[in-house]
Amino acid sequence: MNCYLCDRDMPLQVSWRSIFFNELESVICHRCRSSFEPIAGGCPICSASGDGLCQNCCQWETTEYAGLIDSGKCLYRYNPPMKDFLHQYKFLKDAVLSEVFAAMLKEVLDGQKSIVVPIPMNENKLKERTFSQVDRLLDTASVPYLHLLGKNEVGLGGKSKSERMALEDVFWWNGKPAPEKVLLFDDLYTTGSTMRLAAKVLKENGVKEIKVLALIRA
Amino acid sequence: MKQIEEFLTGRVWLRNFTPFTKEQIDKAVSDGSVSVSPGITDGRQCARCLEKSTKKIVPFFCAACNAICYYCRHCIKMGRISSCTELITWALPSTISPQSHSFHWNGSLTPLQQRASQEVQASLLQKNDHLVYAVCGAGKTELLFPPIFDALKKGKRVCLAAPRTDVVLELTPRLRNVFPNTTIHSLYGNSPEESGFASLVIATTHQLYRFEDAFDVMIVDEADAFPYSYDPALKRAVIKAKKKDAPIVYVSATPSADLLKQVSHTSRIFQRFHGHPLPVPEFRSLWRYDKDFAKGKIPAKLAAWVDEKIQKDEPFLVFFPTIELIEQAIVLFQKKHPGIQAVHSKDEDRKEKVMKLRERKIPGVLTSTILERGITIPNVQVAVVGADQPIFDAAALIQIAGRAGRSIDYPDGSVIFFHNGIVRQMDKAKKLIVSYNRGGAL
Ligand SMILES: [Zn+2]
Ligand SMILES: [Zn+2]
Ligand SMILES: [Zn+2]
Ligand SMILES: [Zn+2]
Repeated sequence: MNCYLCDRDMPLQVSWRSIFFNELESVICHRCRSSFEPIAGGCPICSASGDGLCQNCCQWETTEYAGLIDSGKCLYRYNPPMKDFLHQYKFLKDAVLSEVFAAMLKEVLDGQKSIVVPIPMNENKLKERTFSQVDRLLDTASVPYLHLLGKNEVGLGGKSKSERMALEDVFWWNGKPAPEKVLLFDDLYTTGSTMRLAAKVLKENGVKEIKVLALIRA
Repeated sequence: MKQIEEFLTGRVWLRNFTPFTKEQIDKAVSDGSVSVSPGITDGRQCARCLEKSTKKIVPFFCAACNAICYYCRHCIKMGRISSCTELITWALPSTISPQSHSFHWNGSLTPLQQRASQEVQASLLQKNDHLVYAVCGAGKTELLFPPIFDALKKGKRVCLAAPRTDVVLELTPRLRNVFPNTTIHSLYGNSPEESGFASLVIATTHQLYRFEDAFDVMIVDEADAFPYSYDPALKRAVIKAKKKDAPIVYVSATPSADLLKQVSHTSRIFQRFHGHPLPVPEFRSLWRYDKDFAKGKIPAKLAAWVDEKIQKDEPFLVFFPTIELIEQAIVLFQKKHPGIQAVHSKDEDRKEKVMKLRERKIPGVLTSTILERGITIPNVQVAVVGADQPIFDAAALIQIAGRAGRSIDYPDGSVIFFHNGIVRQMDKAKKLIVSYNRGGAL
């Protein structure tokens, strides 16, 4: 087959792992794979580089959103190849690209004790985009999840942080019973406001512990 | 309505992404002047790029339809087409009044160019396909000016297609100067929006996906170049974009055997416009060069060649078979001279780097095959590393050799094929170049 990203022909890779562990076959070539930068360590909430809680997360701890998130992780840096990837997946709507990180997400989320809750997409936006890029990442990785939130039609893009903080009613509880532990999942972590707005609604409705996971740290 | 007609005549466009309002388009559809068709046909073929391989036409669960839809990955960069997207085109006979054209050119054609120019014009009149087989530096663009002008004067719509954006960018200002009264659209990935009805369209072959039944004359420049020569979808796009009986003019310095066989009317120009012979490549062995690079060392013979060019202050291009090798090599070459640059197909600064080389601000450039054609640098010296690698077929090697000696002030130039064993394609390239210098006799 050809690499999903660069279209170069890939030799068929059959390894004993792929046979015995039923590992997901890679849909991108080695070169494209190695152009992504996995994140090790960093901030215990958002994986920003440095030791301990990053400046951005510390800032959040001085607001009413303090203490909402117990821990978290982002898997990859937002380097130019990752920007290209996300552009093609999300904005060019190349839905099959969800397969690129399926094996990685499966590995990270397998055996997860918390209930995985994806950051939802607004209904109108969903009709327009034709798929939810966050749900699809999980679907492709065969990770079970539960929607607990709905989203109102407000674009976060282009607003300053203080304006974003004012957007109280971005997410609403959909009424399903609250599990004790939740892992909030999103594709891209930028300022952390999406995660905190969602976490606030969850905690107000009875969730005790919240972890966050994002594929990419911008 | 006139604007919609000008925009959509001969074009297939995504219904939801036009420069017009939804109401304007809805009205044009309901009165029958614009027709609508599904983006993916019942036979699971993309109606825009005509792709139908199951690897490229893929299913997904579509939230807009609440069902499985198919979409085309092949032409996705132009805005995704899925089963539930609609394509629109102008449905009525054209009422666009003919433009007046003028021809401003005070250059002159050599007798060989002149003859080829007349032969092309004669083929167009008789609606025959035609091949211009002209060596690198023969001046093939200029000889197309008179036949293009003749076609425009007769009210015909002309397309000049080239496989690469670089070539489109190079041709556009030249043609705009020569035909100052003609509406010319220049189309490539992310090109700025153009308005009005273009009698002359200069486009990458990819952009032809967006045309159907549009052109009376189709000219395919660099008809042997990647991706055109390897991508059957682009060949289908050329056929789809032109009117059924419209002739195609192919222009190439290295036509494939198929093309030579397929097109019966051919003009040959085996001499450069300045009359000097083509530089003949010299073969030099460079055993296990990849091992040297892997060990962090430039192979001695190559290092000596580059040192000499730097010392003589002659600009140079070194072609490499893979991006990986360029990445290894550039670090080592920059230790020799920090000004040396590397370019490849995804390099956004490619144009600037080539410009710097032309202006002699940097000594040389390491490159993939992306620079094999379309660039002219006075006095440039050329080397190929790994000329035995399959990516360098005879056509690519001839194009690369054709970078040297193009300017009338420096009609010679050295062309070295460094190799790890001479292969057939190298021999073939050299034999052909020698034969061109003898006027085409093998
Ligand atoms: Zn790849
Ligand atoms: Zn942080
Ligand atoms: Zn297509
Ligand atoms: Zn659909």
